[in-house]
Amino acid sequence: MDQFLSYINQFFSYIGQHLFLIFGLLAVISAAFLVFAKNAVHSVLTFLAAMICIAACYLTLQSEFLAVAQLLIYAGGIVVLFLFVVMLVELSKFKENRLFQKQTPYAVVIVMAGVGGFMWMFRRLIFDSSASIPLTLSPELSEGLNVANQNAQSVSRGLFTGYLLPFETMSVILLIALIGAIVLAKQSRA
Amino acid sequence: MPFAQALWESLVGDSPLVLPVLFLWLTGTLMLWPLDSWLLKRMPKERWSFITAVILIVTCWFVINAPNAIGFADMFRVDGVTKGFQIICIGAGVFTTALGHKQFDALKEHTAEYYALILFSISGMLLLVGATDLVSMFFALELMSLCIYILVGYLRTQERSVEAGIKYFLLGAFSSGILLFGISLLFAATGGTTTNLERLGQAIALAPGNHDLLVFSGVLMVLIGFAFKVAAVPFHMWSPDVYEGAPTPVTAFLSMAPKAAALAAFLRVFGAGFHSVSENWIAPLSFIAAASMILGNIAALRQQSIKRMLAYSSIAHVGYMLLGILSMDTQAGTQAVWFYMTTYLFMQAGAFAVVIHLQGVEEGERIEDFRGLGKRHPLLAFAMMVFMLSLAGIPPLLGFFSKFYLFRLAIIEGFVTLTVIALLTSVIAAYYYLNVVAQMYFKEPDEKELGRMGICTSTVVTVCSAVLLVGTAFGPWIMKWVGKIL
Repeated sequence: MDQFLSYINQFFSYIGQHLFLIFGLLAVISAAFLVFAKNAVHSVLTFLAAMICIAACYLTLQSEFLAVAQLLIYAGGIVVLFLFVVMLVELSKFKENRLFQKQTPYAVVIVMAGVGGFMWMFRRLIFDSSASIPLTLSPELSEGLNVANQNAQSVSRGLFTGYLLPFETMSVILLIALIGAIVLAKQSRA
Repeated sequence: MPFAQALWESLVGDSPLVLPVLFLWLTGTLMLWPLDSWLLKRMPKERWSFITAVILIVTCWFVINAPNAIGFADMFRVDGVTKGFQIICIGAGVFTTALGHKQFDALKEHTAEYYALILFSISGMLLLVGATDLVSMFFALELMSLCIYILVGYLRTQERSVEAGIKYFLLGAFSSGILLFGISLLFAATGGTTTNLERLGQAIALAPGNHDLLVFSGVLMVLIGFAFKVAAVPFHMWSPDVYEGAPTPVTAFLSMAPKAAALAAFLRVFGAGFHSVSENWIAPLSFIAAASMILGNIAALRQQSIKRMLAYSSIAHVGYMLLGILSMDTQAGTQAVWFYMTTYLFMQAGAFAVVIHLQGVEEGERIEDFRGLGKRHPLLAFAMMVFMLSLAGIPPLLGFFSKFYLFRLAIIEGFVTLTVIALLTSVIAAYYYLNVVAQMYFKEPDEKELGRMGICTSTVVTVCSAVLLVGTAFGPWIMKWVGKIL
């Protein structure tokens, strides 16, 4: 019994050490489902799963504020918006169209090669015995960003001091998205 | 000092650096809201092109007078290189606004939004050429590209314009993803401390042994992202279709301004930032340069459409300009690329002005449409001949000098094989450029009557050919002058 408990203990501590990897993997898997799902509603739901997993990744990096923002904005807002769009647009007539038919085999080979390459690279970086300094996927990374304490404060300080220029650029990018939607969808131009 | 006060002071201190950008943002927004939709609602739309040109010229004045400094937490730098490339982008914008209005008027697709998007796009370019941090660079790149995606799909009733827009948008988003992933890998390689190009360069040079793979793949992915933006082989697939499908004035814009901006960022990132890990990117970039020169020129040979031909030839020109980025002497490389890009701006703007005039409002843009132009319109044909010969790099024209300086630099830097490829492919290029000239002078004209040339188009053609012809006289001394200002 004691041995069993210690096994369980070990198992959970092992999981605890690799939470980031586990959630990251889950995010990738749900993103894959998002791409391959035949039904658009299923795609949106797996997108929701991917967003939640990414929020969990933020949590393991000790940035609680980002995690909450991720949940609120993506899981709460954008997924609902997508669901509305999917339900309003009649997608049934596109069902039979199989896009990208010719390229599929090449694409699969290239993607597999890419995935294999990156897996090998990350394995070497993180788990290899030759890894003199293991790649930081744990609190050290967030220490570099200095967000571990006072999450919301450090995010806002970052936005308004170090990252002011990209932040303001982003606001113009959003404006462009609005203008673009109007330009491309307005009824008449005359 | 309290935080808010420090913030305010740094903001006031840094804002002169981005004054041209702020001016463009302000005027672009004002143009859309109170002016076009309310105050100047009844004004004919073609006047917007004049207003836009004036705004751009004022912006150019701001750019020239901006102080040389670095600001915004080391994210934006104004120096001779920044100003030089900013002026190229603004010049491309002025040419585009002068060329567009006739066609859009005829199609009843003239809106103030078109000009506002050009202004916003140029503001992105101005930010991009001065960006010294991967984060600010990425956002500037997105600002620039997003406007161009919209402009490419602007004629939404024409199927090929919409197709081009969607194609460019999807592939562009994909390449941005690759670029961003590369940036994140490099960020991880430095231990998550900095994205500033200078500090990043030092950090990745000193990265511990097991990180070399991370640095290599990060640099390679950033390279792929940039190669896509400048349309270098093998990431050029979008370019011919987008060039052909986009409205011709937008094609002209696309072949000049974003290329100049992306090449400037390319120079900054690889020349300054990744200089320390050059062994990681010299070989792939040499391959990309050689492939662009060979494939761009050979594919251009078979094109019937002049827009597609110019698209493939611009791929080849990017291949030549990548020689300047390969140069280990960053300053000389920057000067050569800047000079090449400046001459390319005038050649390309002039050639597109002629194409737009011949095209009128129809879709005919085949090379055969140039038949007999020498008899119908001798002056226009002469100007087109100047542009084509200059693009081909025939001596004594200005295009020859820009190629000469670039190739000489490549030989000094020891890229002999690449230079030989560049020379051989320039000879191939001469064939299809001269083909246009031959069509103009040695073929019988068809009966088609040409419309009158607008004052704007004729001004662009005159200015471009005059610059090329006058510049030719000063060719041997131009490089010294470039060295002084950059």
